[in-house]
Amino acid sequence: MSLAKRLESLDRRWIFLLIGLSVVLPMFLPITFPERITSQTQALYDTMESLPEGSVIMVPFEVWPSTLPETEPIARAAVRHAFRRQMKIVSLSNVGGGGPSIADRVLREEGNAAGKVYGIDYVNLGYRANYLAVLSGMGTSIRSIYQTDYSGTPVDSLPLMRNVDSYKDVAFIFAIADNATLDYWVSIVGERFGAKIGAGVTAVMAPKMFAYIDAGQMVGLLGGMKGGAEYEKLLGLPDQSTRGMGAQSLIHLLIIAFIVLGNVGFFLSRRNARPA
Amino acid sequence: MSFLVMTITALFTLALYSFLYKDNPVYRFAEHVFAGLSAGYYAGLIFQTVLVQQLWVPLWGGQAWLILPALLGSLMFVRLSPKHAWVSRVAIAFVIGANSGILVMQQLHGLVLPQVAKTFVSMASVQGVLIVVGVVCTLIYFYFSKPHTGVLGGVATLGIWFIMISFGAHFGYTVMARVSLLIGRVQFLVIDWLHLTS
Repeated sequence: MSLAKRLESLDRRWIFLLIGLSVVLPMFLPITFPERITSQTQALYDTMESLPEGSVIMVPFEVWPSTLPETEPIARAAVRHAFRRQMKIVSLSNVGGGGPSIADRVLREEGNAAGKVYGIDYVNLGYRANYLAVLSGMGTSIRSIYQTDYSGTPVDSLPLMRNVDSYKDVAFIFAIADNATLDYWVSIVGERFGAKIGAGVTAVMAPKMFAYIDAGQMVGLLGGMKGGAEYEKLLGLPDQSTRGMGAQSLIHLLIIAFIVLGNVGFFLSRRNARPA
Repeated sequence: MSFLVMTITALFTLALYSFLYKDNPVYRFAEHVFAGLSAGYYAGLIFQTVLVQQLWVPLWGGQAWLILPALLGSLMFVRLSPKHAWVSRVAIAFVIGANSGILVMQQLHGLVLPQVAKTFVSMASVQGVLIVVGVVCTLIYFYFSKPHTGVLGGVATLGIWFIMISFGAHFGYTVMARVSLLIGRVQFLVIDWLHLTS
């Protein structure tokens, strides 16, 4: 059988097996690749560093549970950075299906590790339906949208919220997102209310977000696991993203090899099919 | 997460990945459980966050006008009767009209105009030239009122190259995203569940 025929008839399960091995092996072998910090990640880090200690920032968790391997390490890095600089965090979510509970878990775990207190250092407002109304309404008054937090505590009874009632009271918005809600943060909250926005997003979303960076509508961006690993490197706290990058890079090399092989097979079979 | 919950999670993960070998009843069972759980979760979520939080509580708190949107919303259920299904169009028309009114201007001022403004750049740099040429050629590729022949055809072909490079970037990032999800699951199985490494 010719090489072209063999490539064409290759059982795709061999590819799945190779991909699987490429994920598992770096967990047992020290396979690492150099990590270069991109300008978007550096810009986001520098923005956070430039905020005065004690600033209030907003960290929306616009994420579904299905993208947690990408978004959770980014969220943890953002929260760690904020707590390290003694910032206060106001969190919320426009994704009802998991966003608020993910925010709750991440904030409480990181808050406990950093010795932060709920209500004083961080608040989770939870979810309210209709993101257009929520994002627009919070520009005027957060209390008009959220009378209570995620667990039903009245917002007015939370010390952190005493001086926070609109985007004007927030120094920066560090959105964690895996869906188009981020577009509305940019168009409504950024453009209409003038809030400064940066984001950590899934890799699928990243190419579209570069347009917002170029247009100055976002100050910085973390794109997927790579962005998370870069941010962890800047923080000096390597964690989940950094751990996954060995497998990530190995699989990328494998897929490049598959693409080359696929094209070789395609051109060989086309040449063989040509009448003599 | 307790070991029991972790084991159930791990078994469902393995059941879903068994599809990679071939379709099988274990995979279908896991898929149906996931679909059922999701539907139940969302029914509860919408009931609590919309019907209770945004209708029932404020209605009894004195906001009687909320009866109007409640009636409008309930018109959607008329679709269950084929004879009277047309009545639901009133509610659909309201939703489409309201959202269009809000979104069209919002998107125009918030996204379209700032993005267009950013393409008015100096062509003194390579990046500036690439942006202007890329935008113009790509737009011309989507101009279908004249046949893509001659100069127009050449410019449109250049537009295709820009589009293909963009697709390539999207594909690369999509691979990274999907692989990240796989890594996350395998890390859960190998590290969190089986403790085979740290």
